[in-house]
Amino acid sequence: MIYHYLFLGLVLFVIGIAGSILSKHVIKILIALEFMLTGVNINFITFATFCDNTNFDGFIISLFYVGIGAIELAVALYIFYLMYNKKQSENIENYGDL
Amino acid sequence: MIDNPIIFYPTSILIILFAIMAISFKNIFYSLLSAIMVFFLTGVIFYVLGSEYNAVIQIAIYGLAVPVILGLAIMFTNPKDDKSKLSSKLKFAVILTSGLFLLSLIYLVLTSLALMPEGFNISENIGTNPISAMSAFGALFTKYVWAFELMSIILTIIVVGLSLGVKKGVKQGVKKGGNVK
Repeated sequence: MIYHYLFLGLVLFVIGIAGSILSKHVIKILIALEFMLTGVNINFITFATFCDNTNFDGFIISLFYVGIGAIELAVALYIFYLMYNKKQSENIENYGDL
Repeated sequence: MIDNPIIFYPTSILIILFAIMAISFKNIFYSLLSAIMVFFLTGVIFYVLGSEYNAVIQIAIYGLAVPVILGLAIMFTNPKDDKSKLSSKLKFAVILTSGLFLLSLIYLVLTSLALMPEGFNISENIGTNPISAMSAFGALFTKYVWAFELMSIILTIIVVGLSLGVKKGVKQGVKKGGNVK
């Protein structure tokens, strides 16, 4: 059963990579990055559940990962705010001079 | 841990479906709604995996807080194209189809649970680990206390820095007399 959970994490990670490469909209790219983080989180919790019955370190690292994800999103949205004020566009192709 | 394929497979299929929808929608608001569904259903997967604490954190932060911030950012961009609005007939068809899909999914899960030897009492399968998962989070205050403190300091710096930056930007916009967003 562990492989099914790992496969789910992998699929979510691949969808995140595809979304971050193919999308042009900045916010959609951020959503795709969050999908990648969520896929990694699923893997952490799966390993903590199936392979580590004493310490549960994966649960705690997953918590830190959520914190890092929130910080990354806040900083990215602030950069987006500054760039949108300058460019008046949400298309990533206009942000070449970042 | 609820090692139940009847809960896992529909949830994971829905996660993958909503994730693909989120990156393929042209309207960013629909993408955000699909992403909210992905984050909520991931919380369900965490619960199935026996980590209730992580499920709550996932739903509270990724399911509620992050979409609010992203929604504010979408409102900030103020998209003016109304061409992507669905017609009322198409909207009715979409709501009807999704409702039927949801009802059939609920029916499938409930009948599958009823066919199981345990019946509806799935709570018996919870808590098979010798150490409770909740007690593992006590390590945040012992083994990982420095990482925890460092994370809280970084979060505080980010919140204060962003607030000051946005306030400065608004003041500059007022001085220029331009568009204050």
